[in-house]
Amino acid sequence: MRRNIYSRLAVTGMRKNKRLYLPYLATSAGMVMMFFILATLSASDSIESMQMGSRTTQIVLNLGMIVVGVFAAIFLFYTNALLIRRRNKEFGLYNVLGMNKTKLCRILFWETLLSFLFSLVLGLAVGALFSKLAELLLARATYGAVTYHISFQPMAFLLTAAVFGLIFLLLLFFSFAKVRLSKPLDLLKSEAVGEKPPRANWPLAVLGLLLLGGAYYLAVTITNPVQAVTLFFVAVLMVIVGTYLLFIAASVALCRALQKNKRYYYQAKHFVSVSSMAYRMKRNGAGLASVCILATMVLVMLSSTGCLFMGAEDALRRQYPYDFSTTIYYQTGSDMDPAILERVEKAVLAVTRGREKDLVRYRTFAAFGEVDAEGVAGHDTGEYGTWYMMPLEDYNGIMKTELSLAPGEALLYDPQHHYPAGRFIVGDKTITLTGVLDEAPIERPNEELEGMSWALLVLTEADWTALVDAVTTADGREFSLGWHAPGQTLAFHVTEDGADREAAEAAQKALQEMSLEDEDAILYYGTFALSDMRSGYFALYGTFFFLGVLLSIVFLVAAALIIYYKQLSEGYEDQSRFDIMQKVGMTKKEIRSTVNSQVVTVFFAPLVMACLHLLFAYPMISKMLVVFGIDNNSLLLMTNLGCVLLFALFYVLIYRLTARAYYAIVST
Amino acid sequence: MSSILEVSGLRKVYTTRFGAVQVEALKNVNFSVEQGEYLAIMGESGSGKTTLLNLLAALDKPTSGSILLDGQPLDRLKESEIASFRRDNLGFVFQEFNLLDTFSVEDNILLPLVLAGLSYREMRSRLEPLAESLGLTPLLKKFPYEISGGQKQRAAVARALITQPKLLLADEPTGALDSNSTDELLRLFSAINRAGQTVLMVTHSVKAASHATRVLFIRDGEVFHQLYRGESSTEQFYQKISDTLTLLATGGEV
Repeated sequence: MRRNIYSRLAVTGMRKNKRLYLPYLATSAGMVMMFFILATLSASDSIESMQMGSRTTQIVLNLGMIVVGVFAAIFLFYTNALLIRRRNKEFGLYNVLGMNKTKLCRILFWETLLSFLFSLVLGLAVGALFSKLAELLLARATYGAVTYHISFQPMAFLLTAAVFGLIFLLLLFFSFAKVRLSKPLDLLKSEAVGEKPPRANWPLAVLGLLLLGGAYYLAVTITNPVQAVTLFFVAVLMVIVGTYLLFIAASVALCRALQKNKRYYYQAKHFVSVSSMAYRMKRNGAGLASVCILATMVLVMLSSTGCLFMGAEDALRRQYPYDFSTTIYYQTGSDMDPAILERVEKAVLAVTRGREKDLVRYRTFAAFGEVDAEGVAGHDTGEYGTWYMMPLEDYNGIMKTELSLAPGEALLYDPQHHYPAGRFIVGDKTITLTGVLDEAPIERPNEELEGMSWALLVLTEADWTALVDAVTTADGREFSLGWHAPGQTLAFHVTEDGADREAAEAAQKALQEMSLEDEDAILYYGTFALSDMRSGYFALYGTFFFLGVLLSIVFLVAAALIIYYKQLSEGYEDQSRFDIMQKVGMTKKEIRSTVNSQVVTVFFAPLVMACLHLLFAYPMISKMLVVFGIDNNSLLLMTNLGCVLLFALFYVLIYRLTARAYYAIVST
Repeated sequence: MSSILEVSGLRKVYTTRFGAVQVEALKNVNFSVEQGEYLAIMGESGSGKTTLLNLLAALDKPTSGSILLDGQPLDRLKESEIASFRRDNLGFVFQEFNLLDTFSVEDNILLPLVLAGLSYREMRSRLEPLAESLGLTPLLKKFPYEISGGQKQRAAVARALITQPKLLLADEPTGALDSNSTDELLRLFSAINRAGQTVLMVTHSVKAASHATRVLFIRDGEVFHQLYRGESSTEQFYQKISDTLTLLATGGEV
């Protein structure tokens, strides 16, 4: 019996404070669950045997797992500190009644142990149930790029138990340290110490504004998507620090400034709100800033991964206009033996057996090198790009158009609008631009995604040959072109799923054979099937989206919990204030309305701020998505609006629920 | 002299939540307070003092009986009128000061006026002489946590008086003060009373009661006895109250 007293004290203590402990335990169980699900998915051995893309999935999931683990640690520390502070009075009483600190620590030990076991068991149990669902969702999100079977992962169990065991062990030491360092009387009254009035810290407030303004400026002015990825992190850090400073310092400064304005301040509807607002912000600024950051993360994550996921098919189509395509490049100077392509075509068509449609063949000359507005052979511009040159006949063939050109004239397809000049000089040849093309259904170079320029020049047959010769025979000093080669492409759509893959295999085999027969005939060849590309895309984007949703849930729950605890602690503080104000002559209704206006302001400030952050992040996100091949502003706009709406709805719901807890405390 | 407060047949019964136990806090209380009077109500813990004060402050409703403040029946007031009635007619001083810790001393004192919607200039013109007479002028910019208990109570008195109430209600105003601050506060109350303010103080301190002009004794929810100061000095009155209490405690009849 005696041996059990500490565990029993721990249990009664937690039960008495269930308003505080239940959400804490539920959240920590939720974190365990999320961690476990991610661990299970990423450790799933079936991944190893999967096709391409599964590795990506595994890596992304692993990263997500680390994020959840780190976040869980930070968050549990935060809430634990809050709980300990609330219970100081109880511990102070035990201490005064003669329980020494070693014994207090024993109670804490039991509490932490029970919390740990509870969250672990519950989290693992629910996690095991949900991991199958998560597998199905992931499989769906990646369009079956990763197919899981039900698998029991002892490693995932062990890993989860070890990680959370470590977190709770650290929590325990932290609590011990807190109790050891405190004096009994402090424990007794630590909740009722007279609080200094908040002072306006103008330098910090201004710094916060500057940081935020700077981050916003960065976000709006960035033009290069590749640069955007690095600068994005700088801007994110600035926004985080800026938000904290704004909520902690600038809000108080604003309240103090309002108090200085006597005419404004000494009015019934401002008087109480403004003065207590300053205190509220001083105490809750950090918590609110955290909620704001979490909200921003959720919004950015959901909208960008959602946009990636929904835009993936478009991006795929843009990158690969045909279901199947093979391109053969030849040694420069060779005259592209037509027999080679014919042989490939024969081999491919033997496999597809009529399941192909819209078959096209075209010739291109690809050149990679320094370019500038004056032409392919620009000097020392430092900018590299890829040029494709195509005879008009071939372009008309693909597009089924009847365009015509005079000698010396050309049409340009320039997706990045890099070449405003009306003429191009290649060697001693000058080509005049007579029109701009809107479409070019050829496979896009990967360089586009890295922000490098590329363009397609459509010329007359004679000019094309001449240009190819000019580039090929030119002196290296004159043309700072790197790799260049003439090529032939065969491409078509298929009418049946998987036919593209068969075609790609057949082409691959034929080309391999020919390379073996004559090493010099073919310089290089590339073949792809859209199905393969698609599974690669969705393995990445689908997993991103899946993880985005999962992490969003974690962050949302964390934000909800911070809000809940904030409402509770405000409730306890407002309780006594309510009483005084009533005696001084405020009606219950008046009190309720001033308190309500404060609560609402405090509550919705993070949401408004998060939306502002998102608004300024928008240009940056849109540019970064271009790196992932998504260049669809209306889709991004829709996903953003959708996420904001969804989030606001959820936020109001949390508000309703927590406000109830708040009024329950205040009205007793 | 006209009575500013008339209490007749006042009864208050508290019922536990499920109606199982009924506690009669006040049985039948009758008394009146004259304009300019300084009345102390004494009684042991549990005698019904606090219940009485809550009823007088219209913070609670009586089970039966009536309270007339300046001829106006409190129980007829609508819920919406009560708060402004309280603000305009009653001043409160509590044992625990009840200052709002988010306000400076000045703002605490001005709170009732701000609620009443006065202009800042008007507030200042009322505050300055009051703060001066209570010795609060140097403390106005301080916050409650920075000043002593006696100073807090003076600030609370200033807050109660700034609306120029018909009746000042004090609930154990010396209960949380040391003896120096107690003396100071009682001198202050006497001075306010001499200046014409009607004061009603609930206390179980003989010392506090001995400064009043009349003392009512409550026991078991009824007014049991009353003493008038008459011409006696504070010391003599102290002795009288003390004797009465002894008699009450030993169960005798007066």
